Amino acid sequence: MNESSIKQTLWFLALVLVQVLVFNHIHVAGYATPFIYIYFLLMLNLDTKRNTLLLAGFLLGLVIDMFANTPGMNAAATTLLAFLRPWLLSLFVPRDNTDDRRPGVRSMGFGSFLGYVLTAVFVHHTVLLLLDTFSFFDWKTLVLKVLASTALTTFCVAVLDSTRKGKA
Amino acid sequence: MRNLLEFLMRYSHCFLFVLLEVVCCVLLFRFNNYQGSVYFSSANRVCGTLYDISGDITGYFHLKAVNDTLTDRNLDLEHEVATLRATLAELTADSTMTDSMSRAALADYRRIKAHVVNNTLDRADNFITIDRGSADGIRPEMGVVSGKGIVGIVGKTASRHSLVISLLNSQSNISCKIKNSGYFGYLRWDGHDVRYTYLRDMPRHAECHKGDTIVTSGYSSIFPEGLFVGIVEDIADSNDGLSYLLKVRLATDFGRLRDVRVIVSPVQADIDSLAVTANP
Repeated sequence: MNESSIKQTLWFLALVLVQVLVFNHIHVAGYATPFIYIYFLLMLNLDTKRNTLLLAGFLLGLVIDMFANTPGMNAAATTLLAFLRPWLLSLFVPRDNTDDRRPGVRSMGFGSFLGYVLTAVFVHHTVLLLLDTFSFFDWKTLVLKVLASTALTTFCVAVLDSTRKGKA
Repeated sequence: MRNLLEFLMRYSHCFLFVLLEVVCCVLLFRFNNYQGSVYFSSANRVCGTLYDISGDITGYFHLKAVNDTLTDRNLDLEHEVATLRATLAELTADSTMTDSMSRAALADYRRIKAHVVNNTLDRADNFITIDRGSADGIRPEMGVVSGKGIVGIVGKTASRHSLVISLLNSQSNISCKIKNSGYFGYLRWDGHDVRYTYLRDMPRHAECHKGDTIVTSGYSSIFPEGLFVGIVEDIADSNDGLSYLLKVRLATDFGRLRDVRVIVSPVQADIDSLAVTANP
């Protein structure tokens, strides 16, 4: 194991712990819950292989599911996000950018980064909350929950990313 | 052949994606009726231990509220004891057969103390994780109560932890009745407000009023008869118009759940042995 994969593993564990112990219990006004654990998927290096991305996404979702008693729900959403990530990045990153840096405010610029995170978070939350409300279909509450949670998660991810700007 | 292999290699991520999503869907749709899936829930060893630690720490923050409730409860009970003593003194010799019978029925139910280590309120199907499991004698289908009212039914057990299907779960159907008139229906949550649940299938001719007390009916062996559930808040027609739908204010505050008791029914041994006979 090299230094960067140890670092990734630590990020994985830290994000999972923070998510299940703190953020899963936050419901702003009963609607918005921040799902910051997907920051792990969003910030993996640009040269990460697609299959690695998919497996990392599935594992991340599955671990969160175990704690939240929702087997498959988070895993389905994160796997989809991992599948779409290369395509989402190609929308917001200039095509000639082929180095091995990680996506972030610094490497992408604030506008592109915000667009990338917002789109990714929106897709993830839509799938996750759709699966969650499967049996009680109440679309107004659902739309409100998706929008509120998307805004909150994007905010948290942006804050998290800017705090580690110096180190990267 | 080479082209085929190249094609497969090139699009391997698509196949992997489909495979993983299928696994997710299998987990998603089979979890609730698949006993082995306890490993994928928070009742497994690692998740349970972590929640134990977290629960121990957060438990301190609720101590003040818990103390307040205990004091209230203590006062209530002291008052009740005083009233009962007075009644007993009046009745003395003919403190009748029904009284002693009901006391005997309740005495048969053993209670196991447990702590809540994880609890959700925001989902359509909420579960509670408690720190007692099959090693402590807990089996699926046992009832769980708090000091204030009923909480739910044990769904799955691991050796040290159990997963409880909370009242706030679309799959929880508990038979309940109105205390005074005895008319019964079943209790099921609608997925919105965690303070209220609904008593369904209440017959048209039933006498019910706002403020009536709802208790368990005791028609199944899970809960003994007469455990407090809540108070009728509102009376409405059901969707098909054939019965009443009672909005019930829950006695249990699910947002502050910490100490619970698991009720072991006296016929549990019979049920266990029957299950063994049925699935050899």
